[in-house]
Amino acid sequence: MSAAALIVPLGREASVPPERRGIARDEVRLLVSDRAGRRHADRSFRDLPLLLRCGDLLVANDSGTLPAALTARRADGTALGVHLSARIAEGRWIVEPRAALVAAGERVDLPEGAEITFVAPVDAGNPRLWYATVATPLPLETFLARHGRPIRYGYVSEGFPLADYQTIFARTPGSAEMPSAGRPFSARVVDGLAAAGVRVATLTLHAGVSSAERSERPMREPFRVPESTASAVNETRLRGGRVIAIGTTVVRALESAARRGAAVASAGWTDLIVTPERGVALVDGLLTGFHEPEASHLDLLRAFLDDAALRTAYIHAADSGYLWHEFGDLHLVF
Amino acid sequence: MNENSWFERGHVAIVTGASQGFGRAVATELAGRGIALVLDARGAELLDETARRLTEHVPVVAIAGDVTDGAHVHELIAAAERRFGRLDLVVNNASTIGRSPLPRLDQLSPAMLERIYATNVFAPLHLIQHALPLMQRNDGGTIVNVSSDAAVNAYAGWGGYGSAKAALEQLSRILAEELSGSNVRVIVADPGDMATALHRAALPDEDPAGLADPKDVAPALLHAIAAAREPFTRVVLQEQLAAR
Repeated sequence: MSAAALIVPLGREASVPPERRGIARDEVRLLVSDRAGRRHADRSFRDLPLLLRCGDLLVANDSGTLPAALTARRADGTALGVHLSARIAEGRWIVEPRAALVAAGERVDLPEGAEITFVAPVDAGNPRLWYATVATPLPLETFLARHGRPIRYGYVSEGFPLADYQTIFARTPGSAEMPSAGRPFSARVVDGLAAAGVRVATLTLHAGVSSAERSERPMREPFRVPESTASAVNETRLRGGRVIAIGTTVVRALESAARRGAAVASAGWTDLIVTPERGVALVDGLLTGFHEPEASHLDLLRAFLDDAALRTAYIHAADSGYLWHEFGDLHLVF
Repeated sequence: MNENSWFERGHVAIVTGASQGFGRAVATELAGRGIALVLDARGAELLDETARRLTEHVPVVAIAGDVTDGAHVHELIAAAERRFGRLDLVVNNASTIGRSPLPRLDQLSPAMLERIYATNVFAPLHLIQHALPLMQRNDGGTIVNVSSDAAVNAYAGWGGYGSAKAALEQLSRILAEELSGSNVRVIVADPGDMATALHRAALPDEDPAGLADPKDVAPALLHAIAAAREPFTRVVLQEQLAAR
């Protein structure tokens, strides 16, 4: 499908969190589309418990956002922005140097005697992401808490505190970018869901930095689907309830845990790419934000809505003043 | 239309009495053709076992309950609607013979007769009544009511069951008449004697070795569904098997 219909409409980028626009987290707007693409309804996110039914299951990503943006200093004294994208092992990361070319073997300094050494590009044809060693005299979490900032893109007006980048589900720090579909959930919405008989289960997928270009394949990401969540998914489906993923990261993790039509407890790295051709085996619906029409995100959405329905939904959202990106409005497809 | 084009992947069927015997065999055949399933049976354990096995092939919803319970029938329809958004086939297979050994009519208690009719006549009609709006929302569909030659032949002891199946058959004919012009077809299927729990209960002394295996009969039902052109069809499945 043409991405043209899906470009971010001018002036519709949410540049600040909703709390700083005078509304609560859960007061963002919610566009509700049925998967046949016939109906698009404008609701408030707070209505979510009214839209789901007893027996449905929401699955959230409990990965917490890291303050993964750092400023390093190169040997020539110039500053280099770096994003820690994914932790491979103790002290070994996939790192994205911002707006500069680095060379294999280059070492850059961080505050308090910490340093990053770029070892090799992840993909030889595209030197955007690097395998790197990250050495910090302090425990990394302490170091990041002191010196890191949440990753921020150009459409966000200023640096906001890390708390603005955490969801109510965050338990395990590890994402370079916030699993943002979980952001509007508040204690009152979660209470409302419980009262409506809608269960919530969690899994972990640490999201790396997003692909910069439409042609880029999404990266491998570490994930874990616990036994309790796998059985909740299977039980829900067997009883006729719907499994609704809170965010594309949850679709990726759950579908990576699908074996012969059922979910099994799984952990590891996933390079799964969900496309309309592959389809979805375990997920009946998706709650997601409005994002850049980057290829992998589009493909995943198209596993839930066909091209025409997706276009109608995005045109409706653009015409009706919905806001894009991680601090913006939400889209429920089921 | 060939057989495979009727059974489109993504089509949805409700099969009652699907945990064992003919119902399970039909559900298994449908799963093999990519039909998503909503399954019913009274015993949760056997039903879940069947459902988990078929989940390897297609999405399956299993709801244990009694088809004579109105709320349970509503649950089956709701499951098809919310989980799959459509319904293409209903197989009313759940049946009871009442009590074993089979009593003569002059010994048949009103309570037992009522139970037989509730399961074999009232419940299928109730399910059909709720299924039709969902079926007609898409491209129409097929209703299969599983009957028996006891509906047309007079066998001593089969008065309750046979007359109930006769009622079900007549109701099917009238339903088809009322639905003519719509895209819903009605099939009455007589699977014949098979080695099933129902047959064992009715005729405990008969040697099951000579009886057909429901697994072998179920494909004939799928063939009949795909081949149906008329608003109403009555098909004797084992004759179809012999003819093929």
